[in-house]
Amino acid sequence: MLRQKTPGGDLAIWIFIIAELLVFAIFFATYAFTRSSHVEMFNASQLTLDSNLALINTLSLITSSYFAVRAVAAMREDKARQCFNWLLGALLMGLVFLIVKLVEYNHHYSGGINMRTNLFYMFYFSLTFFHFMHVVMGMIILSANAFKTRAGNYSAQNYTGLETGTNYWHMVDIVWIILFPLIYVMR
Amino acid sequence: MQQKITGIRPCTWVYLLLMLLTLLTWTVGVMGLNGLTVALLVLGLSLIKGHLIGDYYMGLKLVSGGWRWVIVAWLIIPGVFISVAFYISGGG
Repeated sequence: MLRQKTPGGDLAIWIFIIAELLVFAIFFATYAFTRSSHVEMFNASQLTLDSNLALINTLSLITSSYFAVRAVAAMREDKARQCFNWLLGALLMGLVFLIVKLVEYNHHYSGGINMRTNLFYMFYFSLTFFHFMHVVMGMIILSANAFKTRAGNYSAQNYTGLETGTNYWHMVDIVWIILFPLIYVMR
Repeated sequence: MQQKITGIRPCTWVYLLLMLLTLLTWTVGVMGLNGLTVALLVLGLSLIKGHLIGDYYMGLKLVSGGWRWVIVAWLIIPGVFISVAFYISGGG
């Protein structure tokens, strides 16, 4: 198997991805250690969350990431039209994530629950909203990738920009994959 | 020369596996299973999912040297901290 020395996409995005992941790692560790001093309260609050909505969101992001992989694969085969369609699919699934998350936030706020309710909700809103903003950023990047694909700026020989965008999107997916069990399932 | 893809792509198998592991994690939550062992098992499944995304979706499987393990290295950091914190609290 032919191995590359550096990962796909612009190297700068990998530095950015590592920095972002380290920030999330600190948040995760802070959540977990704070929880260890307030186990009962964290567990009781966690039970008020809707794990079905979280499941839909997790499946949406995983599907979106898969579509992004297929977009890059299509471009590698010089199929720009297919690449564009896969990117639209990825964006659509990203949109599903955002809508479901907003529905969840609305449910909590209308029930009088907010960041000041207790420590668990402070973490819940902070962590998920920080991630939410990363999804928005990822969708902006994927949209730019889709426009450039449509404009014929990528080819089988030149798709570094596309890989840069999709790798950022996968990072957003990886973060949620840890967030989902940590906030909704583990107790 | 472009290699013609036949059959199901590895990324599709990985996608199906990720969906399956997600459903498994969700089932644990819905069934109300808790405790240290369950928590660590669920965390382990998530770390595997993260590794699969790094390897197959981000293409790190095809990279040599330190970059190959960048996502694995990151997964270990929150993985260890979360495990220790849950161990301290006894899981449930």
